[in-house]
Amino acid sequence: MDHFTPYTYFQCPCTDNSISIRNIGHLESTRADHDDEDERTFDPKAPRANFSLYPLDHLLYCEICHEIRCPRCALDEIVTWYCPNCLFEVPSSTVKSEGNRCTRSCFQCPVCVAPLSVNSEAPAPTGLGAEHAGPAGPFVLSCSFCCWSSAEIGIKFEKPNSIFSQLAKIKNGGDPILSAKQRRLDREERRRDFSDASIPEDAQEVLPLDPNEQLDAEAQFSNLKSFYQSQLADASPASALGFGGEYGYGSPGALTRIMGLYTGGGLADKRSQSKSTPMREACDATEGLQLAKTNADEDLAKLRREGWEGTVSKEQRCEQAHEPHFVSDLRPIAALLRTKRSKRCKSCRHILSKPESKVQNTRFRIRLLAMNYIPTITIKPLQPVLPGQSSLLSPMKPTQFVLTFKNPLYDAVNVSIATPSQTPGRYSSKVTVLCPQFEVGAYIEDAWDDVLREPGEKGGEKERRRTRAETFEGQQQAEAGKVWESGRNWVSVVVEIVPATVGPESGPAFLTEGLEQDNSPMKEDEDILEIPVFVRLEWETDPAHDDGLGAPVSKDKEAKVKRELAYWCVLGVGRIAQV
Amino acid sequence: MSSSKRASTMPAGPKPPTSLASTLIIADNATLTGTNLITIGASTIVHPRTRISCVHAPVTIGSSCILSERSSIGFQSSPSGEDQGRGVVIENGVVVEIGAIVEASRIGEGSLIEVNAKVGKGAVLGKHCKIGPLCTVAEGEVLPDFTVVFGNGQRRIDSSGAQELKLKMVGRQVEVLRKLIPSNLAKFQ
Repeated sequence: MDHFTPYTYFQCPCTDNSISIRNIGHLESTRADHDDEDERTFDPKAPRANFSLYPLDHLLYCEICHEIRCPRCALDEIVTWYCPNCLFEVPSSTVKSEGNRCTRSCFQCPVCVAPLSVNSEAPAPTGLGAEHAGPAGPFVLSCSFCCWSSAEIGIKFEKPNSIFSQLAKIKNGGDPILSAKQRRLDREERRRDFSDASIPEDAQEVLPLDPNEQLDAEAQFSNLKSFYQSQLADASPASALGFGGEYGYGSPGALTRIMGLYTGGGLADKRSQSKSTPMREACDATEGLQLAKTNADEDLAKLRREGWEGTVSKEQRCEQAHEPHFVSDLRPIAALLRTKRSKRCKSCRHILSKPESKVQNTRFRIRLLAMNYIPTITIKPLQPVLPGQSSLLSPMKPTQFVLTFKNPLYDAVNVSIATPSQTPGRYSSKVTVLCPQFEVGAYIEDAWDDVLREPGEKGGEKERRRTRAETFEGQQQAEAGKVWESGRNWVSVVVEIVPATVGPESGPAFLTEGLEQDNSPMKEDEDILEIPVFVRLEWETDPAHDDGLGAPVSKDKEAKVKRELAYWCVLGVGRIAQV
Repeated sequence: MSSSKRASTMPAGPKPPTSLASTLIIADNATLTGTNLITIGASTIVHPRTRISCVHAPVTIGSSCILSERSSIGFQSSPSGEDQGRGVVIENGVVVEIGAIVEASRIGEGSLIEVNAKVGKGAVLGKHCKIGPLCTVAEGEVLPDFTVVFGNGQRRIDSSGAQELKLKMVGRQVEVLRKLIPSNLAKFQ
């Protein structure tokens, strides 16, 4: 808790903070605030503020709108789906049909989430030509981390490749899973047998394969689906669309339906309604009926036999498809596919970030980072904290901080910063910016250019223009209205802070009028001193080099365009020591 | 030009009494310290910078073991109570990975102590156990055969039945390491 790293968060202008959650209890004051919305300071401690504050490296910048764009005001588009394990690029059509799991041989251990590898159960061949002979089956999926192997759930594979399709056919324990197609074929086979023996069709249910078969969830679903499909087909021979099983466009039923569509539908609807007969429900396992188990004797016995080790943990259970209770019911988890995404500005649809579509390539084709467009702000104490000294801010003691603005643009920027004199919230500290307006020089890629251009005025001299006056004790003191320190593309100013007294007993130090005292206990992180800062940037730029990549100097002064950008930032200064 | 290496001016301590098999591969840089007996079995590999300490109790290592770099075998501090006198026993075919600390009373056959794992004083590991990377086994703990300690201290029993295969793989690894590591058995005898 003692350690604190100062931070700067930027508020994305997309968020509308006109309704402050803090004032929800005081409706009148909210309405009153509404009028001077622009005047109101941003409250970093408001519950809603969390959603609009981002570190600078999370933000993008739209060149068309000239606005900061956060993850909430950018649209995501999926460029590529790929498997993180085999780096195979999966076409989006396959993702739609097969789902978002790798359908090759990439699996995750169901016990610990490490990737599984395919190993041969048989000992490696030895002797002459052993290195040319491939490993012999059977194969198992095994985890090199926790030593789990698919042999433990009774699953072995014949081939070392396309494990996904092999696994789909094997139940835990090694029994084959009948696919939906096989089940259908099986059913049709039986139906044909019965019709050959001239038994009425209804007798099909009298002689089922195994009506009490224990189905797993997938088999049950496919049985139910096929049962109700056949029920629907039986109930309306010319189905609702008017096209029966054989696509009888010319059938009388279809004709009346089409006629009904054009004449207002009276005739056809009445007839179809009168025809509908009540549907039968599923009544055995082949039709997808599974009776819920009334007693869990089997599970209890298993629980007694296998103990705590035999049950799955919550994490393991969440990863599985049908939430099993026992370790023996776990199945290898196919690797979840990952995506590469491009981002678009929500208002102008301009692409903000676009990665290379190739999976192996980590480059970006387009990447408009806010970091390249707005100055970075760093904060540090003026007097460095000595090792062993507490980094907590002492209440009511004026402390000075250095605020450094670093300009990434190729044009000089005029910066105006504004802070409320007292930070919002219950414990409000006093804040004074000693120099609220200054110019930050342009970023020059080649430092030598600068030195060569101005031979008289040396860069080094400019570099260390300190306004501090060192007193005899060697203490540094900042002068109001002047920049503390500046370099080629950076400027530091001093901010003086008088931290509030923070503590459960002590009331707010600077009680703002109109707000009654709130004596509720201190909330989490309420002792962190956060300063809202309004930053306004003004600069002139050459529109041709708007992308910020052009030459810094332009001969044509008329072509310059004035730009302006304003946003709120939050400076996390430090924790205030509690009294 | 004189050598830039600065050798320690401290005289080397007395060699610990050893009983080393002739087919043992022990690197020159391995350190054996203490006054109790160190017994190492046949075709075991002791990597450079392995520390075997018999200051507090004797150390017995079986055959076909692999002791990797910077691993420490033996009690690091004097044992208390019942551990007194009982040394560290490592059975055949055990692999101790890099940086692992083994103070166990007994490590069963074919066990694997992973990178930077720690087996506390007086612990008894069954056969074919595996202690995962950075995992710890507490002092005096007794693990049954085939225990796998992994992740954040989770335990499970490995029933894959691949122990024979694993022992064979250790044997092969020993065969390769025999050729790679120059042995200086005479230094320690």
